[in-house]
Amino acid sequence: MSATVIDGIQEAQQEPTQKNYLNADHTIASWLLTVDHKRIAIMYLIGVTFFFFLGSIAAAMIRVELTSPNGLFLTSETYNKTFTAHGVLMIFFFLIPAIPAVMGNFLLPLMIGARDLAFPKLNLLSWYLYMISGGFVLAAMILGGIDAGWTFYTPLSSIYSNTQITLALVGLFISGFSSIATGVNFIASIHKMRAPGMTWFRLPLYVWSHYATSIIIILGTPVVAITLLLVVFERVFAIGVFSPELGGDPVLFQHMFWFYSHPAVYIMVLPAMGIISEVISCFSRRRVFGYEFIAFSSIAIAGLGFLVWGHHMFISSQSVLQGVIFSLLSFLVAIPSAIKIFNWSLTMYKGSIHLRTPMLYALGFIGLFVIGGLTGLFLASVDTDVHLTGTYFIVAHFHYVMVGGTLLAFLAGIHFWWPKFFGVMYNEFWGKVSAVIVFLGFNFTFFPQFILGYLGMPRRYHMYYFAQEWQIYHVASTIGSGILGIGLILPACYLTASLIRGKKCSHNPWGAKGLEWEAAATPPVTENFTVMPIVREDPYDYDAIADSALYEEERKKGKKPALVGATDDEEKKD
Amino acid sequence: MGGHAPVTNDPDADEVYFQYEDIDQQQESYVVGMWAFLVTEVMFFGALFLMYAIYRWKWHTDFYLVHKQLDWQLGGLNTFVLLISSFCVAMAVHYAQLKKPKQQLICLGITLACAFGFLGIKTIEYSSKFEHNLFPNHSFVYADHKVTSYGMEKKDVTGRAAGVEHAKKVKKPQEGDPNRARLFLSLYFAMTGLHGLHVVIGILVIGTLMIMIARKSPLITDYVPTEMIGLYWHFVDLVWIFLYPLFYLIPK
Amino acid sequence: MAHESHSSGHSGGHAHVIPQSKLIATMGALTGLMLLTIFAAQVPYWFPAFAWLKDQHLLMNLIAIGIAFWKAWLVVSIFMGVKFATKLTRLFAIGGFVWFTLMFITMIDYFTRPWEPVKGWEAGNSSALPRNVARPE
Repeated sequence: MSATVIDGIQEAQQEPTQKNYLNADHTIASWLLTVDHKRIAIMYLIGVTFFFFLGSIAAAMIRVELTSPNGLFLTSETYNKTFTAHGVLMIFFFLIPAIPAVMGNFLLPLMIGARDLAFPKLNLLSWYLYMISGGFVLAAMILGGIDAGWTFYTPLSSIYSNTQITLALVGLFISGFSSIATGVNFIASIHKMRAPGMTWFRLPLYVWSHYATSIIIILGTPVVAITLLLVVFERVFAIGVFSPELGGDPVLFQHMFWFYSHPAVYIMVLPAMGIISEVISCFSRRRVFGYEFIAFSSIAIAGLGFLVWGHHMFISSQSVLQGVIFSLLSFLVAIPSAIKIFNWSLTMYKGSIHLRTPMLYALGFIGLFVIGGLTGLFLASVDTDVHLTGTYFIVAHFHYVMVGGTLLAFLAGIHFWWPKFFGVMYNEFWGKVSAVIVFLGFNFTFFPQFILGYLGMPRRYHMYYFAQEWQIYHVASTIGSGILGIGLILPACYLTASLIRGKKCSHNPWGAKGLEWEAAATPPVTENFTVMPIVREDPYDYDAIADSALYEEERKKGKKPALVGATDDEEKKD
Repeated sequence: MGGHAPVTNDPDADEVYFQYEDIDQQQESYVVGMWAFLVTEVMFFGALFLMYAIYRWKWHTDFYLVHKQLDWQLGGLNTFVLLISSFCVAMAVHYAQLKKPKQQLICLGITLACAFGFLGIKTIEYSSKFEHNLFPNHSFVYADHKVTSYGMEKKDVTGRAAGVEHAKKVKKPQEGDPNRARLFLSLYFAMTGLHGLHVVIGILVIGTLMIMIARKSPLITDYVPTEMIGLYWHFVDLVWIFLYPLFYLIPK
Repeated sequence: MAHESHSSGHSGGHAHVIPQSKLIATMGALTGLMLLTIFAAQVPYWFPAFAWLKDQHLLMNLIAIGIAFWKAWLVVSIFMGVKFATKLTRLFAIGGFVWFTLMFITMIDYFTRPWEPVKGWEAGNSSALPRNVARPE
């Protein structure tokens, strides 16, 4: 976006060595008690990475276990606890907070031109609630584990399971409030903290997607919070609101759970789409095609996302009529999602494309998200869903959307804004290698699962001795997950290395547009802007033709082609 | 950070937090934030109301019979108490806008008293339910049937020692299916209990506000904190406005 | 520094002060409605003029819920000041209540469960099989 900024820009570039938010203060307390959105984002990054690591270990255990039709080293009970741990950690502690709480927290005020979010203390509270809830869930896992699956369906979770579900649910209840605090903060900030001239249609699409996400958070999260709380009451007092013997209905739990948890899928994927809009536009050197359509499709996804929850329940005792209604509505969600995919493709059309690391991840996102989305259509249709639901087809489908979508976008965003976060540049070569490895490893892992699911392998099964011919697919999937694991360890290594001895990057290494690049220092100072920016231009004001011309010219000279507008690293004294 | 940093380029402005440009922006942000929070509260109780609506629709006859166990007079009194408190909060905001801290404190004081009154009446109601074994835990007994969440035991408990004692304590005749009774009372305790929790939080918040106003805390510069807390308290009243007819006044 | 983005609407310095008389009138109306709803639930059916209401169960339910919504509207619009607030506040207030009604789509499920378009696939009277499982004590 934009924003040729009148006053801010020179100031921001003048003193690259000035105090920034990272070195403003060095004590531990200055981090733990900070109200600076950037520091909170970094603390979230640490937390999210930690839980992602734990969730990955659980995933690896599942994959290794499934290489044998009879199981290898886990008891079936432990296996149940392992896949529950994987689901709970990844969904509630990585996918939901990853992009909004890390990158949203860091970038939202910078992008709208504010000194901080509207409620900085609430933001800090949100991080503490997140960590406390994580503590509860980890305690539940250490004290005996949870075996009900991340969906916690009643009556297994409410009456029959003897594991630490109560503790885990209390943790998830608290993590709901962490989400709500972030959502409220973002909504108030986007409404009221925009810089002068930053009208709604000059907002970066990233901010639009966060607005849509926040709406989902404040409308959906309380519903799942109360539902899980009722299960806690059920376990503690045995009140029996979901008990069929009393005239209650366990399916009602599913209704209320999915009323949040389906929109939660969009909490995970909408911010990812926001990142992709930014990255694609920057590395294609073109204005995003159909800005308004992408912006409104985010809102449309948020709205429609609330009306499709029943497609998770086609084989529950939900009525046939409602199944049909939900099936139709689920097909509708494909429209705004497709609008985005088409618009990104058209953004690249006739653009001057640079295949840098973030762009590679973003292209990977588009490919995988298309597969994930299209297989979603099979599942939205009632009749094919009856065959496919509860199988590895579902598992593959949502991993294509969640891992292929959210995780790849998260990595794209991390690689795109890493210089902005820490003022250092990572090793571009290893970045590209890891992007390719992640893409290949991911497909290797999850594509066999589509076949497995179609053949009938049920999800959450520990053993498949009844159909040993599936072993080959499971082994392929496990090998793929190993490759994927390597692809994920690589960024962890070279990004950490760049922090220790990375070369200091210039002010705007991508030549990207937007207040966060143009008006704020790299890394930003504590109060973000030394002079309040005034926005006078529309977002994504890139020039593909000039970039293309420069590219040709430098190619002829035999120099490494650069991005137009990128501040040159060599000129800097470092 | 977090403290009050006067904005240098606007000498006339009231003190605002560092992230805001001026006092208008700060107050508007508070209003948006508070309403966004209230929307989450609506959805929070909304889920419970949905649950209630489904079960009431399914078991309306039993719900009608069981609701007679609740004391509509006490419930009505509580409704009135909360209405008064809500009115007083509205008056407190009114006086805060007119910058009359004394009247404001009196109004908030009445609100606080009403909140305690509400909880007192609630305690009387709850304790009678406990006494009659109507709290849905493991000792729940309705119409001489012991009911757990696995359903009622077919055995009649009247013959047992506990049952005899129980039968003596019960004043009102217990009609309707004991299973549905447990369902109804589960919903009753879940919903009124969470509402009660909101009242307790309200008491803490209003109490803190009163202390801050009385001590002329620099954090309270205008009427906005009172208005925000008022919005919360009105919401608490609002929930009760629906809870009262839904639980205490079920028409046949 | 004037913020273009928030130049309209509710402004801290000069917020709408709701007159005392209006608050008192609202309080009176709320009390009246409360008494009305209690009366509607405890109608003296023996009284000839109300005898016909005895079997109007739907009507009585609608009256009870209608009065509750009326009271809610009074509290939201006057006490919470939504009537005098900015469009944005109104959007949030109304949006919250509208969205929560969307959850009631779930009711369609419960209303139409017995309906089965395929002949011969109809469920019996009970929707779930009796569960004869050993249960933990």
